[in-house]
Amino acid sequence: MAGKREVAESCFEFLYLELVRTCYVKEEDDRGTRSSLDAMGFQVGQQLAERYTIDRARFSDHLEVIKFICKEFWNELFNKQVDNLKTNRNREIFVLHDNRFRWLRHMSLPKDLAAAAETVNRYLIFPCGIIKGALASFGVLCEVSAELTDSATHACAFHIRITQK
Amino acid sequence: MIVSMAVVGPANSPLFIHTISPEEDPLNFHYIIHCALDVLDERLNTKSKTPGGNDPNLGLIYPTEDYRVYGYVTNTKVKFFIIVDEIETKMSDIREIFRRFHLAYVDAVSNPFHLQGHALASKSFEARVRSLAAIRL
Repeated sequence: MAGKREVAESCFEFLYLELVRTCYVKEEDDRGTRSSLDAMGFQVGQQLAERYTIDRARFSDHLEVIKFICKEFWNELFNKQVDNLKTNRNREIFVLHDNRFRWLRHMSLPKDLAAAAETVNRYLIFPCGIIKGALASFGVLCEVSAELTDSATHACAFHIRITQK
Repeated sequence: MIVSMAVVGPANSPLFIHTISPEEDPLNFHYIIHCALDVLDERLNTKSKTPGGNDPNLGLIYPTEDYRVYGYVTNTKVKFFIIVDEIETKMSDIREIFRRFHLAYVDAVSNPFHLQGHALASKSFEARVRSLAAIRL
């Protein structure tokens, strides 16, 4: 069995930037680009979920699935865990706060939060797709959206709304 | 000796069935796996009530008169089956084979050209499964 193979992170960052740019150039409208990036993220999320749960005991409920996403899954993808997890009373809406989102850390953003969020939104579609795909492979169907919460530290918040467990 | 190894998807659709012995009708094994699916589903639904019952290995799930079926369920509800025709088989050997089966499956599914939910069409996956099935228990 092959050991863990690695690729330089800068390669991924360049590829990711170009991926988003190409999608926006290729598709005519914003909705088409969103759905193609989302679909790509979904597939990757499913495959990653298979790989990262190999030796793990089965999850007993959807809260454990979310905790897995925040800890082990986030660690494998971004080398850190989610910094803060908030949920509403019914446990149907979860908000994951990442104080330094790794894929944005080399981007220089305008100080104004609204303008920065506007530029960065397109780079958050793919990670939302990954989360959606991973959760779907565990049987938890949901809607995921993300937004930039701080343009200086690249802090992001991911909103997960569970539609079916 | 292992006579068959199979992968069934989360929606209970067969993703991959590999049978060894040429003299036995392969459809027979399809039928056995189908029955074993029911037993496995029942085991999954009742096991969720007991704590500490979340081991992916489900052990011997379906002994018939000629064969014994071992089951394994992943977190993503993908089920693996191994059908053996011997009486004495060590659980540790079965566990090891399931683990390698799982790793081979993950590698096959990580193929970007593989469509999720469709049957596995990877030749390298087939080769790995064949070498796993050839292991003497």
